[in-house]
Amino acid sequence: MSRPTLHANGDASADVVIVGSGVVGGLIADQLAAEGHAVLVLEAGLRIQRDQAVENWRNMPFENRLHSDFQGLYPQSPDAPAPLYFPENHYVGLSGPNGSAFKQGYLRTVGGTTWHWAASSWRHLPVDFRMQSTYGVGRDWAIGYDDLEPYYCRAEEAMGVAGPNDPALQSPAERSKPYPMDMVPWAYGDKRFAEVVNAHGFRSIPIPQARSTRPWNGRPTCCGNNNCQPICPIGAMYNGIHSIESAERKGALVLAQAVVYKIDTDEANRITAVHWYDAERKSHKATGKKFVLACNGIETPRLLLLAANARNPNGIANSSDQVGRNMMDHSGMHCSFVANEPLWIGRGPAQSSCIVGPRDGEFRAQYSATKIILNNISQVAPATEKALAMGLSGKALDEEIRRRAVCGVDLSISLEPLPDPNNRLTLSATRKDPLGLACPDIHYDVGDYVRRGVAAVHEQLKTIGQLFGATDFVINENLNANNHIMGGTIMGADPRDSVVDGDCRAHDHANLWLPGGGAMPSASVVNTTLSMAALGIRAADSISRSLAQA
Amino acid sequence: MRMLSRLPLSRGALGLLLAVASAASAQQPPVANTVPAGPDAALVAKGKALAIAADCGACHTDTLNHGKPFAGGYPIPSPLGIIYATNITPSHGAGIGGYSEAEFARAIREGVRRDGARLYPAMPYTSYALLTDEDVHALYAYFMHGVAPVDRDAPPADQLARPQGLAGKRVDAAGLPVAPTNTVTRLPFPFNLRAAMIGWNWLFLPQERFKPDPARSAQVNRGDYLVNALEHCDACHTPRNALMGTDRSHAFGGAMVGSWYAPNISADPVSGIGGWSDAELVQYLKTGRAPGKAQAAGGMAEAVEHSLQYLPESDLEAIAAYLKSTRPVRDGADTLAAHGHGTAASLEPALRGLSGHNNPQPLADGAQLYSGFCASCHQPDGAGSANQAYPSLFHNTATGLANPANLVAAILYGVDRTVDGKQVLMPRFDGQSYVQALTDVQIATIANYVLQHYGNAAAATVTAQDVAYARQGGKPPLLATLQPYIVPVLVLGAIAVLLVLVALWRRRARRRAARG
Repeated sequence: MSRPTLHANGDASADVVIVGSGVVGGLIADQLAAEGHAVLVLEAGLRIQRDQAVENWRNMPFENRLHSDFQGLYPQSPDAPAPLYFPENHYVGLSGPNGSAFKQGYLRTVGGTTWHWAASSWRHLPVDFRMQSTYGVGRDWAIGYDDLEPYYCRAEEAMGVAGPNDPALQSPAERSKPYPMDMVPWAYGDKRFAEVVNAHGFRSIPIPQARSTRPWNGRPTCCGNNNCQPICPIGAMYNGIHSIESAERKGALVLAQAVVYKIDTDEANRITAVHWYDAERKSHKATGKKFVLACNGIETPRLLLLAANARNPNGIANSSDQVGRNMMDHSGMHCSFVANEPLWIGRGPAQSSCIVGPRDGEFRAQYSATKIILNNISQVAPATEKALAMGLSGKALDEEIRRRAVCGVDLSISLEPLPDPNNRLTLSATRKDPLGLACPDIHYDVGDYVRRGVAAVHEQLKTIGQLFGATDFVINENLNANNHIMGGTIMGADPRDSVVDGDCRAHDHANLWLPGGGAMPSASVVNTTLSMAALGIRAADSISRSLAQA
Repeated sequence: MRMLSRLPLSRGALGLLLAVASAASAQQPPVANTVPAGPDAALVAKGKALAIAADCGACHTDTLNHGKPFAGGYPIPSPLGIIYATNITPSHGAGIGGYSEAEFARAIREGVRRDGARLYPAMPYTSYALLTDEDVHALYAYFMHGVAPVDRDAPPADQLARPQGLAGKRVDAAGLPVAPTNTVTRLPFPFNLRAAMIGWNWLFLPQERFKPDPARSAQVNRGDYLVNALEHCDACHTPRNALMGTDRSHAFGGAMVGSWYAPNISADPVSGIGGWSDAELVQYLKTGRAPGKAQAAGGMAEAVEHSLQYLPESDLEAIAAYLKSTRPVRDGADTLAAHGHGTAASLEPALRGLSGHNNPQPLADGAQLYSGFCASCHQPDGAGSANQAYPSLFHNTATGLANPANLVAAILYGVDRTVDGKQVLMPRFDGQSYVQALTDVQIATIANYVLQHYGNAAAATVTAQDVAYARQGGKPPLLATLQPYIVPVLVLGAIAVLLVLVALWRRRARRRAARG
């Protein structure tokens, strides 16, 4: 076992320096520490314990809980702000036709944003890696599905994913190994919904989830607390913190409240050190052989731009001018209605079934793919809000809450953007964080490809509503963010128009890796975490090989 | 059940007292293999059932590392060092394939290897000494013909996982666990003197086989044989005297085993299991769980998992009947049975609003920690889930005993048992936790909150130091703490003797000179 060296002056040296302690940084740290390398992880945010999040959530006002405030319960380091919306802190400056659709909720906390994810662990489809060559839109990856498939398996194993082992229920079915655990059992609502819609050509299937359906490596079985978001209270769901703690047990050193702001390069443009501010705002330097930035799809490009130096005046890794461009998210919307029969939504985890019929097809040459999640968050809170708004009281109020709670349906729709260089993250010229570092600005336009997809999904939703005799049928016209941040350090075969190669290694710097959502050149329409994790593990292999050569 | 960390003390004591007897471990001449040809299938099957009842596999099969049956290598940690279970497959090179039935009998009933060396009583031969010749014959047939030989020695110890919470963890200067370096048991001096066991055996090894007591029912006699000979329950549940022999005057009166407490299972209705129905005892032994009474964790979970669940119902009923017939051992401080303590109580309404929803401070209060870490499963009022899959924390011996060790150990190491193909898991909260690693102070605070509100309030005196000991596998026995001083003391003693001899010699020389 090797450990990083922490010098008396607060500086550090390690074999591998990882900036960011989320799922991607955590998995890489865990693997490289297991291989015996000295691993240092620098995390801008605080270290918290699970009970703090649980108790903060239980102390949350009804209004925050009703409107899905997943950010507000996580305390932030005063020097490392992350977005807040109750009220908005405007840490990320948004502009453009769909700026309001890019209100991301990500955490700067040891363990990262998977503290409050829903654990959906989808793979991209093989065709998603070849969007340009198949449908003439978007970009092709520098690697194919077959290159990433073994890493998808390893990511599923590392995160303990429970998924359907019946190929008819898989998307995609191209798998070399079964899921580590069988699928999360469907509740009545999932079964009934699939029974109704699948008879009409929709394909509602189980969501693969990084959640235990049996005791798994010391992780307890999910018991359906139904508040995966914002916090699993019993640790049945994978969080990045698990990989971080696993890495620490193998000798990795994780420093919280370490805000990296500067990157040194040598004459060969290799990274030699990163500099960070500690909690007392003192600057320190971490030297190493290999460096990883895995700070999230917004913070990684922000840091690359912040760290511009004399040799890299446009930012680190940015000779292509693509750092911060091609910003993507699965902009989405919600559709709610009251069904003409009870569906008893709210039993089990937050999300267990999803319509994937419109994930792929020839139409993708013209417009966005779609996935429609049957949201399984308890309907009691929205039912109560609605019943109160109706002016009811007494027994009538109780009855209406009950009716809406058992018959209420909420569908969460995701759409697939294309990479557009004009959707761009830049450094704010006017807004600074408490350390004086420029805040991120993002210009966002979902584009006509998505807008045409919205029109298509409206028709699908109306059909579903009719199948359930829907009343109070509402499609929210405002696009919302889904926290699947992609594109800002885009992967490609050509260093002139991309930032990283197929191993997520920076074209410009032989010892720098930028794995995660930022590298993804196509969004598909599914949650990004498993693909990010697979890219992270692939990068870890690349780093490992590179260390062996050194 | 595995014999655990209390036992090495006996080795230590005898190492000091009886270190002179090492000549007895001299090599004996090899004996020709006397495996009977054409074993009787029924006899082998009987031997297999006996091996399960005697729980041989608990130690000799390294389940932690997916080891082959009876191939050894399972590390049994003790405060004095790690004892490795040996290969007892019929391999001639690596196992016991060369043992005659007489040699086999001598090993399991007298603790003497074929080469004459003494076994440590981590092997419960003082219990197996009671085994009948007929059962030893069947066990021998099983081990020679029903077990696949494994010719390989146990795998390198540095590749082995370690059992949980049973005894001392070796750490390096940085506080990281150090893997043992070999699978040969090598205890430090003087505990390495196996011959010391000769004297100990003279004191504590029963010389007679089990004989049914005609004054008792056949069922109680069967239970006696199961409890005392095969399942060796007394090895953990009976306290030990100064020389670490079992204290028969307090038989089944309860004792510490590493971080866990093997409770009083005598017939006493307050301190023991006298208040349990026979059906509850049978259910507990069969499933590891008796709602309203207790659930098996630690070493008892292993006993249920590897042995007790496979016993026929009639044997479990016999064990219950025998335990109910044992002499009650009462702790004078006990006024209420462990399962009688506690009631539902929730501080939930008082908690809400005390802090904001973005509180950055770590939680320190018992009620808050309980709410944050325990209440999602055990419920805010401690009553557990409706179906008791998550047990109630009151009416539960884990919280009702005067000794809170099992509550602390359950928080540290969790509960993990697989019975009838179904795994029950309460996550652990020590440094290996998947959910959250808790500090000694946090665990002590939670334990005291639980004891005060749901259990034996008088036991709510858990300190961080108590948790620290439990984390290390239990408070080390006196002799383990003395071990580093034994050699210096012996050396000083030898010097003192030399000085006396020199003084005597000089005096004699002076007298001679005076006479001359």
